[in-house]
Amino acid sequence: MNPFGVVALLPLLVLSAGTVVVMTGIAIRRSNFLAALTTGAVMVAALLALLPAARVVPMRVAPLFLIDGYFVFAAALVLLSALAVLLLSYGYVSAIRSSPADEYYLLLLVATLGAVAMLASDHFVTFFLGLETLSVALLGLIAYSRHRPDATEAAMKYLVLAGTSSAFLLFGIALLYADQGTLSFSLAAAKASSTQGIGIYRMAASALILTGIGYKLSIVPFHMWAPDVYDGAPAPVGAFVAVVSKLSVFTVLMRYFVAGPGHADHAAFQAIALFAILSMLLGNLLALGQNNLKRLLAYSSIAHLGYLLVAFLAPETFGIEASSYYLAAYAVTTLGAFGVIGLLSDPAAGADCAELESYRGLFWRRPWLAGILTLMLVSLAGIPPTMGFIAKAYVMTAGVGSALTLPLAALVIGSIIGLFYYLRVVVVMAQPVAAGVQARFPRVRASGAITIGALAILVVVLGLQPASLIAPIRLANPRAPSPPMVAASPAAPVSVAGLR
Amino acid sequence: MQQLLALVPALPLLAAVLLMLAATRIGTNGVRILGVGSVALSALLACRIAVAQIGAGWAVQPFDVTLWHWMRIGDFAPDVTLHLDGLSLVMMLVITVIGFLIHLYASAYLDGDPGYARFFACMNLFVAAMLTLVLANDLLLLYVGWEGVGLCSYLLIGFWYDDPANGRAARKAFIVTRVGDTALISGLFLLATSFGTLSIPSLMQHATTSWPIGTAMPTLAAFLLLGGALGKSAQLPLQTWLVDAMAGPTPVSALIHAATMVTAGVYLIARTHVLFALAPDALLVTGLIGAATLLLSGASALVQTDIKRVLAYSTISQIGYMFLALGVGAWDAAIFHLVTHAFFKALLFLAAGAVILRMHHEQDITRMGGLRTAMPGVFVVFAIGSASLAALPLVTAGFYSKEAILGGAWDSGPSGRLLWCAGVVGAFLTALYIFRLLFIVFLGEQHRHPHGVTGWRIGVPLGVLAILAVVGGGLQTPALLGGIAIMPGILGGVFGSASHEGALALLPLVLASLVPLAGIALAWRWYGGGLASRFETQFTGLLLRGWDFDRAYDRMIVQPLMWLVRVNHHDIVDSFYEGLGKLAQRTHAGLSLSENGRVRWYAGWLAAGSVAALAIAVLS
Repeated sequence: MNPFGVVALLPLLVLSAGTVVVMTGIAIRRSNFLAALTTGAVMVAALLALLPAARVVPMRVAPLFLIDGYFVFAAALVLLSALAVLLLSYGYVSAIRSSPADEYYLLLLVATLGAVAMLASDHFVTFFLGLETLSVALLGLIAYSRHRPDATEAAMKYLVLAGTSSAFLLFGIALLYADQGTLSFSLAAAKASSTQGIGIYRMAASALILTGIGYKLSIVPFHMWAPDVYDGAPAPVGAFVAVVSKLSVFTVLMRYFVAGPGHADHAAFQAIALFAILSMLLGNLLALGQNNLKRLLAYSSIAHLGYLLVAFLAPETFGIEASSYYLAAYAVTTLGAFGVIGLLSDPAAGADCAELESYRGLFWRRPWLAGILTLMLVSLAGIPPTMGFIAKAYVMTAGVGSALTLPLAALVIGSIIGLFYYLRVVVVMAQPVAAGVQARFPRVRASGAITIGALAILVVVLGLQPASLIAPIRLANPRAPSPPMVAASPAAPVSVAGLR
Repeated sequence: MQQLLALVPALPLLAAVLLMLAATRIGTNGVRILGVGSVALSALLACRIAVAQIGAGWAVQPFDVTLWHWMRIGDFAPDVTLHLDGLSLVMMLVITVIGFLIHLYASAYLDGDPGYARFFACMNLFVAAMLTLVLANDLLLLYVGWEGVGLCSYLLIGFWYDDPANGRAARKAFIVTRVGDTALISGLFLLATSFGTLSIPSLMQHATTSWPIGTAMPTLAAFLLLGGALGKSAQLPLQTWLVDAMAGPTPVSALIHAATMVTAGVYLIARTHVLFALAPDALLVTGLIGAATLLLSGASALVQTDIKRVLAYSTISQIGYMFLALGVGAWDAAIFHLVTHAFFKALLFLAAGAVILRMHHEQDITRMGGLRTAMPGVFVVFAIGSASLAALPLVTAGFYSKEAILGGAWDSGPSGRLLWCAGVVGAFLTALYIFRLLFIVFLGEQHRHPHGVTGWRIGVPLGVLAILAVVGGGLQTPALLGGIAIMPGILGGVFGSASHEGALALLPLVLASLVPLAGIALAWRWYGGGLASRFETQFTGLLLRGWDFDRAYDRMIVQPLMWLVRVNHHDIVDSFYEGLGKLAQRTHAGLSLSENGRVRWYAGWLAAGSVAALAIAVLS
């Protein structure tokens, strides 16, 4: 590996080394604050490490990693989201029980490492290892509130279903290998462009890989787990599942299907279009009568992934830019909404404060939190002057450019339904409370309050001045030409031989 | 200096946000300092910018300030850009300076009101929105300001929301202007789809190069914009809301419903005058509507007994003059009249407010009278305002701006002569109704005694506005009377220097000057001794109700609609939408069954999805 490769890989190296540091720290002294501080420092260091990495892009490190502008953008988004989750968790997890919650931060860091590794994947091995690192760490995070039966149940469901979906994914990868003789995206793409037509192996492989990815993105019909897991997991973890995990998997989807070997796979695109339409319609319909805010956000995230896939389906008409902006808007808004739920919840209680009834009259009891939650919901519904509006307008314009009639119709219908249940929450928050039945809210924790405050400012500022985000997004194109395989000899790729 | 332009609307906006958030913590004095101070600062800034930008011959150096790029989607790239030229400079000065005076006045007028902070928050927000409207370089940003002022107008008309009547008036204003706003946004859509931009300079350039004069497209676009302008400026047939809007506090009536917001329609047409020049039909209609409005509402003002309603009808009538001027292409005359009208109508409203305040919130002029002795200062400024409104020759601002309009009409062909006649008749009515008001309120015998004194925060704005109502005429005078040309100099860069000065004949000028005197004389004869019951006929009732537009709309639009609503309540149209909602809820209920919490069921779906994907792969 040349020295530039080290620089390019620096964010990943920092995260890996940081995991060891945090672990060592725990061995020496157990402290909630110390562990959180180290974890935060590692994340910030990884963010800073993106700066030198951004100078040397595009760069291929071994056959496994591709460090390009898209990686830098997505990694920045993932790391910032993880940092926000960390800040929202601090105070939440420490209040669960008396012993320090340092293993929680370790798990968070490992999960982030898995996610970032996935973003750089140019190879199914990287993708799969990153995915499993993320999943296993998430399992611990979801079950973290041990005293809640719901959390354990959610973790078990996640475990079983993630295992099942991974099996589909692995089968798909195996079929692809049988067909192509390589697991590298770039080599497969080169091979795919030289051969005419798509064999049955590859088509089946695409379908199975889609199942694995669809599960992680929780699009219909692979969505069933989402509400149960979101509901059972602690609110900050719910945000992590909804944002970081989906963000990283979506990046791989872009890399494989839009920039990589899958772009000729028309059948896969048709399947994705169908799933997107179903996600938008069913996701919104499922959220319609929901009285649990966490479940409501789960269903709405199903719908939002559907909207995102509309941009994915229009890569020729700036759909890539649109999807990147949408990811950012989705991340900021979802983190904010879950953040408010987390701040209102008592971690030691039997469940988070997610029942709609406990939000009645919130505007009088916690006006700032109610205001921020309203802002987030308005953004999710896609109303100006928030990021959500720009994101949806962007996606729609991209879809119109590519003449995606049916997905756009589903988007419009879904948005109308969405308006109802988002605004219903706002209405409930504005209604007066019946005397004597007020739920007790814990004291607002400073780290969380600062975080959601910053997110609220972002939602408005980037909604009014989206150009400042769109400019960097334009540099982050997964289709930008990447350097040729350095290590690959023309006859037989070393990497593949090694991995056999 | 140019970069500071953004601060002019930003300061009131910031103050509005602060007032909304911190209203209860900063106390009455804090609210007063924040609310009035922000507008004062932005007025100072506006004056400083005016001094910096006005050069030789009063010409204004135009410039743009791009604050940020809002978004780029495809080729459509609206920017948040402020544009300052002669027109927006004049508007900015009017809004900030008169706005400041009215804020100062309101700080005394609203003393002790429980909604003090809310009032100033809305007023500051209004000033910010209005400044956005006039400084916008892009029709999209202009529309943001346009809706912003509409919202503030709604909030402030219904400021005393304890009385349901005020809420009704607020709703009426909002809904009636919405008719116009819908036309406006349709016009925006038309322009955006035709040229792919909403930036005003490039729109005007595109329009002149690709749309021939008098063809369908520019005419349609101009008519749609005109629709928006009619709603906002309360012109026929959308004028009915303004009179009810007097339910708001008097400073609101002065600022929003006399000096600034209601003239936004005039501003819009002046701003897009290039487009209107391509559509002679739309211009003709603009002029005719202006003439009809000024006559009808001038006549209505004759018989009103509520002091604020007289002024409201008068405002509609005066804006009618501005539309008349726009219709004959005398753009600068329209803007000149807008400015002088802002001076004297704000003065009249504020003076009326001073009367109302000291008469224990009495607005019925039949219960006033003889206030001359008790309130001499207010009497003097009210008389000055009335004289200016009535266009008393030579000594008032209103005279010069009205002459500019009538001169413009006289010069513009046969249809212009017709409009000139309407304008002259209107001038007679104006003098008659405003001096009727003045005589009834201030002369005659005293029915009730006013209480208290008028404080400095009310007195100072009245005094300043009274001075402006007199010397404001010095901005532009006809060639016969000195030919001062400050206003044409400032506006020259916007409208070109097409002047109609030379042809102005002596005869129409003299005739038009004498008409107000006749009106005043008649008013003196009828009402000089206070209130007398004059032509109390069926016709008076009609005038009193504003030509029965409300009743006609009620019969023609509201009641048929209500009838349809009653008939349709259980009918197919309604049930369709209810059915949609029910369908969504049923589907929700059905789908919710699928979320039964069983892992094997979930895994089954996973497999089913995979099979579906495989099927698509194999079958396609």
